[in-house]
Amino acid sequence: MLTRLRLPLLFLLVLTVQKSLLSDIDVRDVRPDALLLFVVCAGLVSGSEVGALVGFATGLVADLFVQAPLGLSALVFSLLGYAVGAFRSNLIREIWWIPPLTAFVASMAGVVLYAVIGAVVGQSHFVRPQLVTTALVVGVMNAVLSLVLVRLTSWALSWAGQERYAR
Amino acid sequence: MAVYRRTRPRFILLLLVLTAITLLTLDGRGTGSGVIDTIRSGARDAFAPVGRAADSVLEPVGNFFTGMIHYGDLKAENARLREQNEELRGQALQAKNSEREQQALLDQLDLDYVGDIPRVRARIVNAAASNFELTFEIDRGTNAGIAKGMPVVSGAGLVGRVVDASRSRATVMMLTDSTFSVGVRMSSSGDVGVATGRGVRAPMKVDLIETATKVDKGEVVVTSGLQQSVFPPGIPVGLVREARTPPGALQQEVEIDPVVDLRRLEYVTVLQWSPKR
Repeated sequence: MLTRLRLPLLFLLVLTVQKSLLSDIDVRDVRPDALLLFVVCAGLVSGSEVGALVGFATGLVADLFVQAPLGLSALVFSLLGYAVGAFRSNLIREIWWIPPLTAFVASMAGVVLYAVIGAVVGQSHFVRPQLVTTALVVGVMNAVLSLVLVRLTSWALSWAGQERYAR
Repeated sequence: MAVYRRTRPRFILLLLVLTAITLLTLDGRGTGSGVIDTIRSGARDAFAPVGRAADSVLEPVGNFFTGMIHYGDLKAENARLREQNEELRGQALQAKNSEREQQALLDQLDLDYVGDIPRVRARIVNAAASNFELTFEIDRGTNAGIAKGMPVVSGAGLVGRVVDASRSRATVMMLTDSTFSVGVRMSSSGDVGVATGRGVRAPMKVDLIETATKVDKGEVVVTSGLQQSVFPPGIPVGLVREARTPPGALQQEVEIDPVVDLRRLEYVTVLQWSPKR
């Protein structure tokens, strides 16, 4: 039972670190997105179903702290968590550089998807000339952070089975 | 059984996507926006104590990383500030016995352009939670008399406006956000226009300035405060960076730099002002 509390606890930690620490660290005015990374790690560790569920819950909370329409992050994060989980199920071997590489690509995809779907629902200013830079910087910073977060997520999701990248 | 296992994740994803789209539609159409606002405010208030505790613990760590990443910028700024300091020291010596100049300085610090509008001082506690918004969070909310739509200023001029307020926190949209616009008046000609944000490092754009109007580089642009304007008149917004008239254009292309250094803000003042006053 207690092991199931690890996931919400880790989520609270990630949210706190994002709002209190990472929001102050920027490269070219772009900050890392730990919540997006958390979803990527959940998909990578426990597959598409858990990835989508964690993505939805994380996105819904993320939506409460921004001005964008409620449900936008939930939609993007669910799709992303599912996609990363589906990718992970096709992996044959565990290699140390797969989590950072996945975090890099998936974070970039997440940023672009957020902007595009945002534009569709009325936030047309999300698609802007700096979007590629934003996606790239978030991708690089999340790739670095993934080296730590994937292990923590693996620990938090040990009850969900299919534990990987924990070593 | 095997088929169920294979299709279950897809079914769950479909349910989640449909739920998210429903929420997006409800929020977009304004249906239940009161409920959504209440939930948002509640979440911010609930997180505020955790955020406060985390800020005090994580602030030195954040400062370390920020210093590391921006070491080059900080070094250059340090040199610039030293030079500025020397200049100011010279000026201060000249004005040492001038009572009038000291009073002028104090008046400036007291936001003389604000007049008798009631105000609330607040500290910036968090930067934007998203890379797509130019906002920040302040440590005061509706309990301190802050409400949605109130103008936010600093000693130099306009910073932005309150876009969300919970009991203990408020979110301020900076004037450089691309969804931000403000009615402005050119200080020399008195012509009015609309200034719009274009991102953190980009100058603001001013529309509706006629081609015949003389616009000088460095000219101060202030809020117009016309009827129904969401800002009181006379708040400095920016300084003209460039003004040009393309051939055949019906208006000038005017760019202004905000007077406030938005990257160095620590405290702001919320004006308890509404257009009805």
